[in-house]
Amino acid sequence: MAALNVLLSGCGRFLRGLLTGPTVTNWARPPARAFREVVEIQEGKTTILEGRITGTPKESPNPPNPSGQCPICRWNLKHRYSYEDVLLLSQFIRPHGGMLPRRITGLCQEEHRKIEECVKMAHRAGLLPNHRPKLPEGFVPKTRPRLNRYLTRWSPRSVKPIYNKGRRWNKVRMAVGSPLLKDNVSYTGRPLVLYH
Amino acid sequence: MAGLSRAPQQWATFARVWYLLDGKMQPPGKLAALASVRLQGLHKPVYHQLSDCGDHVVIMNTRHIAFSGNKWEQKVYSSHTGYPGGFKQVTASQLHQKDPVAIVKLAIYGMLPKNLHRRTLMQRLHLFPDEDIPEDILKNLTEELPQPRKVPRRLDEYTQEEIEAFPRVWSPPEDYRL
Repeated sequence: MAALNVLLSGCGRFLRGLLTGPTVTNWARPPARAFREVVEIQEGKTTILEGRITGTPKESPNPPNPSGQCPICRWNLKHRYSYEDVLLLSQFIRPHGGMLPRRITGLCQEEHRKIEECVKMAHRAGLLPNHRPKLPEGFVPKTRPRLNRYLTRWSPRSVKPIYNKGRRWNKVRMAVGSPLLKDNVSYTGRPLVLYH
Repeated sequence: MAGLSRAPQQWATFARVWYLLDGKMQPPGKLAALASVRLQGLHKPVYHQLSDCGDHVVIMNTRHIAFSGNKWEQKVYSSHTGYPGGFKQVTASQLHQKDPVAIVKLAIYGMLPKNLHRRTLMQRLHLFPDEDIPEDILKNLTEELPQPRKVPRRLDEYTQEEIEAFPRVWSPPEDYRL
């Protein structure tokens, strides 16, 4: 019985895949154009909800390295950005803080992972205050005392305290930053320390 | 030194100076390193262990220190009351909530030399959790030390011109919606 249901749902997915192929005419899905925003205007007793299409931002002209495959290589930013470069990171995130998919942004796999890690660290450091996740209606979060942090590798809720630090030759070290960024250029000349 | 004669020159060399350090968004270890150097007097060319040449250090905004990594959850401060079953272990966040000054105090205590001078040097350290410092200490302050860590700017602290001046690195496809 369960196997039959699984088979049917599998078939359904296969058929749906067939339907959304090039055989589908345009009337099945409305044409989706560019970025849009929803604007609410209150005029006396009537409320107008208008969806406006904002201009799609274009890549700036004359990248320093036009032969690069991903945006980072084209703009010579390969090992040069960090969690603090919010102006760069904010170009790859959604309004509520999530990352955009790699097939849309055009980043290569390793750069996408590095940017994702930097975005997570920037969120945890509080550098993106206007990209917080959307809370359900009427939900008031409890205001807990916020601790300042930076270069956090793990999510604060997932980490356990180190009650036993270990012997002198075998200490349990605390992780700082991310190993994905260990090839970054260091302008101060000091080596990057990943475990304190 | 054409101006000063011997006694005023000696007075000026060995006078105790009051430094101010702002701990907002700073790692407590780096604050402690700066403070311990100034408290011992190691920043002076006339340093000697017995000549009591240390200075006063006032650290404000200790409530707003920032730890790197996950140290708020991972770093554990242990103590023992002396009684059986009195081994207490608290995480940095719990300790900070109970006493916002304790983390910086313990960091500096651990960085000072482990001799009898340590207690007197700790008496010359003044820690305040927020910006409000008593009048008499404010009158004594001579110099503010630069902060050890460069605090990164948040996205809303950039002006609109700076955001527009930064080049856009990729262009989304025409039919994509966020």
